[in-house]
Amino acid sequence: MTAPAGGHAASVIFGLSPLWVATALFIVTYVVIMADKLNRAIVALLGAGLLIITGVMNQEEAMGAVDWNTLGLLLGMMLIVNVTRRSGLFQYVAIWSAKKVDARPWGIMIMMSTVTAVFSAFLDNVTTVLLTVPVTLLITDELQVKPYPYLFAQIFASNIGGTATLIGDPPNIMIGSATGLTFNDFAIHLTPIIIVVFVATMIPLYYVWGRHLRATEENRRHVMSFNENEAITDPRLLKQSLAVIVLVIAGFMLQRQTGIEPATTAIFGAAILLLLDNLGKDSETQSKNVHGALSEAEWITLMFFLGLFILVFGIQKAGLINLLADALLKATGGDFNVTALAILWASAILSAFIDNIPFVATMIPLIKAMGPSLGGDAALLPIWWALSLGACLGGNGTLIGASANLVVAGLAERAGTTFRFVEFMKVAFPLMLLSIILAHAYIQLRYL
Amino acid sequence: MSSNAIYQTDFPRLTETQTVGIALEQMLGNRISDLPVVDASGALLGMFKLEKLYAKLLPRAALLGKGLHDLSFVSDTLEELRGRMHAIEGDLVRDYVDKVDEVVHPDTPPVEIVLLLHNGANNVPVVERDSGRLVGMVSSRDLLATLHGGAGK
Repeated sequence: MTAPAGGHAASVIFGLSPLWVATALFIVTYVVIMADKLNRAIVALLGAGLLIITGVMNQEEAMGAVDWNTLGLLLGMMLIVNVTRRSGLFQYVAIWSAKKVDARPWGIMIMMSTVTAVFSAFLDNVTTVLLTVPVTLLITDELQVKPYPYLFAQIFASNIGGTATLIGDPPNIMIGSATGLTFNDFAIHLTPIIIVVFVATMIPLYYVWGRHLRATEENRRHVMSFNENEAITDPRLLKQSLAVIVLVIAGFMLQRQTGIEPATTAIFGAAILLLLDNLGKDSETQSKNVHGALSEAEWITLMFFLGLFILVFGIQKAGLINLLADALLKATGGDFNVTALAILWASAILSAFIDNIPFVATMIPLIKAMGPSLGGDAALLPIWWALSLGACLGGNGTLIGASANLVVAGLAERAGTTFRFVEFMKVAFPLMLLSIILAHAYIQLRYL
Repeated sequence: MSSNAIYQTDFPRLTETQTVGIALEQMLGNRISDLPVVDASGALLGMFKLEKLYAKLLPRAALLGKGLHDLSFVSDTLEELRGRMHAIEGDLVRDYVDKVDEVVHPDTPPVEIVLLLHNGANNVPVVERDSGRLVGMVSSRDLLATLHGGAGK
C-alpha cells in the first residue's frame, strides 16, 4: 500500500479511523520504547514504517515530517567531536583542571563537574561523559577515593550543563529547530539560571560527600605528576579542531544575522574539519579517518529521532495533538501562568522516569497547537523555556532519567563501582526537585 | 591434509589451582603468550592470556573501551609496574581464565586454521569434538614451520 512520491495519502487500512490507528501505533511504540527491551531505533522506525504502510500518511509526508535541521545539527556535532577527540583535548582539559586545585579531592569534584558541565553545554551529554568519566576514574584510582560521589556529580553536571545552550541537549535542539529560537536565545534565557542551578547543586553535594573526601599527600603527588601536555596526541589536529569549534559556535551565534541554520553550520564545520584533518594524506588514510568519524556517530540516536518525528507527525495529522491541546487547556483553565508552570513540573517529573526525547517531540506540536489560545507564538517563549528546563533537568531525578546517567553507571560498573536505582534516587530526586524549584522561581520572576 | 599435521601435541598447560607465578614461568620457559587451562579430565576450560595479565597492571579507566586511548601523561615507573606484577603472582590461574571463542578439531581443514590465525588468533586450542578434551595447540609459529618447511611437523 505504498504511495508514489508526490502522491496523495493512501486510505487507511481496512477503512479504520486514522485517529485510532495513529494513536494506537503511537502508544504501542512509546510503551515498547519505555520498556527498553528492544533497541529504541528499531522500535521507532518500525512504528514510523507502520504509519506509512497502514496509510495514515504517505512516504512524502513522512519525509516532510522529519526535522532535518535537528538531525543535521546532531550529526555535524557528533562528527566534530569524533575528530577532535583524537587530539587528546578533552583529557588535557580534565587533567589540567585537576592539577589546578592541587589534586585536592573536593576541588577535583568541583573542577571535573565544571568541566563536564561546560563540555556538555557544547557537546552531546553522552559524548561528554564518555570523554571525562575515564579521566575521573583514573584520578580517583590514583587518589584512592571512592569514585561514586564524583560520578554522581558528573551526571548532574552533564544534564545541567546540557540545558544551558541550544546544542547541549537533544530536547533543546528540537525546541530550537521547531521554534526558530537561536543559540543566543538559549544562552541569554537559560544560561543564567543554569549557572545558579549548578552552584546550588554543588552545595548539598559538599555536605553529603565533599567534606568527607580525603587523600594522602603521596596520592595527591601522584596525580600532580600527570603531564597534561602528554595527553595532547596530535597538536596539529588540536589547533584545527579548536579553530573549527570556535567558528561553528560563532556561526551559531550569528544565525540571526546570516540566516544560516544550525544544521548547515554544524555539517559544514564538520566537513571543514575532516578536510583539514585529511589534507595531504594518502587515500587509504583518508578513507580510514573519514570512516572512523562517520562510524562513531550515534546512528542509533539519529535513526531514533527520524522514526520519532514521523510518529509524532502521525498523531498530529490524525488530530490527536489538537485533542490533547484542548484537554490541557481545559485542565489549566487556559491560564498562561498555570500552563507554563504545569509544563515545567510535569516535564521534570515525567523526564525523571521516561526518555525526555519522545516526550519533548510530542510536547512541541502540542504547545504549538495551544499557541492561539495562549496569546500566539510570540507569547509562548516562557513555555518553551519551561519545557526545556523541565525535560533536561528532570533527567537528573533517577538513574534512568537520561542516557548520560546510564552511560556513567555502565562505565562505573565496569570499573568496579555499582550505581543502584534507589540509592541514586535518594540523593538525586531531591536535588532534581531543588533545581526545578529554582527554575520555577526563575520563570515566575522573569517571565510571568 | 587435516590440522593434525600442524598442531603440537606436546605442549604446556595449566590447571585452575596453579598460581600466576607458575604460569609466568611456563610462559617464559616456553616463549609463549597464551596457555590452555584444563580440568582434571583434560577438558579445556579456557585460556590464560598475557593480555589479561597486562590489564591488571593498567588503571581500570584505560580498560573501558572509549575514553582513555593514551596513557602517556601518566608517570608510573617501571618499578611501580614491577611491583604490581609481583603483587598478582600469588593469585590463582582460575581468576584469569578467558573463555575460548575459537577452537579447532583434529579434522578441521588447514585453510580454516589459516583464516583463524589471519584474523588475529595467536594460539588456537585443538579439542576433540565429543569430549571437549584438549589434544593439541596450534600457533602461527607451528603453521609457518609446517608451510615453510613443507614436510609437516
